[in-house]
Amino acid sequence: MSDIYRLILRTQLNRGRAAALLAIAAVGMLLAFAVRVTVSASDRPEAAYSLVDGFGLGLLVPTTALVFASTALGDPAEDRTLVYLWLRPIPRWQITVASLAASLSIAVPFAIVPTVIMALLADGGIDLVGASLGAAAAASLAYCSIFLGFGLVVRRALVWGLTYLLIWEGFVARSGTTATRLSVLGYARTLFADLAGQAPPTLASSTSVAIAAPFVIGAAAIALTTWLLCRIDVA
Amino acid sequence: MTDDAVIEVDEVSKFFGGIVALSEVSCTVGPGITALLGPNGAGKSTLLRIMCGLTPPSRGQVRILGRVPRRDLDVTRLIGLVPQQEALFDPLTALQFVELAGRLQKVDQPRPAAEAALHLVELDPGDGRPVRTYSKGMRQRVKVAQALVHSPQVVMLDEPLEGLDPRQRLRMIALFRRLADEGRTVLVSSHVLDEVEKLGSRVLVIAEGRLAATGDFHQIRELMDDRPHRLRLGADKPRALAAGLLDAAAVVGAWVQGPETVIVDTVDVAAFRHAVAGVARQRDVRLHEVVALDDDLDSVFRYLVGRR
Repeated sequence: MSDIYRLILRTQLNRGRAAALLAIAAVGMLLAFAVRVTVSASDRPEAAYSLVDGFGLGLLVPTTALVFASTALGDPAEDRTLVYLWLRPIPRWQITVASLAASLSIAVPFAIVPTVIMALLADGGIDLVGASLGAAAAASLAYCSIFLGFGLVVRRALVWGLTYLLIWEGFVARSGTTATRLSVLGYARTLFADLAGQAPPTLASSTSVAIAAPFVIGAAAIALTTWLLCRIDVA
Repeated sequence: MTDDAVIEVDEVSKFFGGIVALSEVSCTVGPGITALLGPNGAGKSTLLRIMCGLTPPSRGQVRILGRVPRRDLDVTRLIGLVPQQEALFDPLTALQFVELAGRLQKVDQPRPAAEAALHLVELDPGDGRPVRTYSKGMRQRVKVAQALVHSPQVVMLDEPLEGLDPRQRLRMIALFRRLADEGRTVLVSSHVLDEVEKLGSRVLVIAEGRLAATGDFHQIRELMDDRPHRLRLGADKPRALAAGLLDAAAVVGAWVQGPETVIVDTVDVAAFRHAVAGVARQRDVRLHEVVALDDDLDSVFRYLVGRR
């Protein structure tokens, strides 16, 4: 499994993707710095919370997961190198888990760490730093798990994934309870608010559900991706 | 099923939506070299992919040594596949790529096995360049090396000679023969008749998704040569030439087409070529062109499909 992990890590991470996501992270950090120098000390925790919630969890984390997780299996399927993994005596779940681990390994420096740095730079307090870490990690797990299988079966997954993030996660999921419960961001924001000691967002689920949801989503998505891998037509 | 069948294909059909890629193909493949011959788009790659388990048949079944490759993960240990596509894991070196294949195939000592496989295809294991910098021929050889690294019993190669220079082609064919002499089952797909001739093997001819003919190469060659051939003759007196050829029984049909053209059908090209000059002389016809109209492989395959 470690061979596939290393391979996926190496093939996923190219200069273009790294540069694009580091640029987004840099913008977030600049905004955080701007909060620190322009907002008064009393208003800073609130402003820092809003920045991490909106930019870190709402943009950086899902975009990073989309870019790397959807290409982990999507690229080999598209360029037809998947055959070199598939035609081996390896249980399919190992391919899925290794690809997920590679995507999460990339999410750490490109999404989770920058989100935590944003909380630090914006001077949001130690609770906000811890909350950023927990919520970004949980959201990364859920998003990466979902986008892994998404990239395997959907052509031009990046475009469709961005559409999903913008329309569903960014808009529809904020409009009703049921939609919120079908949104990773809804659970991530609930968890973030709880850990940061802030009032829960409207339409939030309970904290215990918000903690469990990323793991449940992750497990279900891994199972689905493995099932898809077993049944895929390998070109 | 024959006693030595390693691969059994039983009534296999494959549909992609409304398109029939394979239609009720049945055959067996035993140890030694077997060539899968057919024009582009005939269904060769689809059949190879089904044989490896990469895609399920819509109908029928494939077995490798009695096991179903799509369902049985361990069958992949028995198979070495050289796919048609050029793409490799580009950031890796050839040695890293082949060693990875060895590791995933659970080879005991993947590094020495990878080095040996690269030597087999005459690539330098010490070459530190990533495979993305390799020429088409070198990439082709890397693909062959990764298919052989675990010493599989069954080697399937989809157009493996494409992109190789003539010298490399000969060496690769010699390698395939050596693998066959070791008792392995080597299945090579090709759309080039001359390549298949050099393999000197048993041949499965596939065309339009159907198995058109099977036999050794010489039987197939005879079958192809015995078919009716159509030729276009350019002459100043086409009617006289057509009549003369029919009188001499050198052709089975002749049609005048235009002021200086005759189309003829013959079942014996050699006898026709021998007779045509004499008839032209005898009838005082100036013959200025003899062109075979159906000598391309596609028409040969169409003929073989049509006669089934």
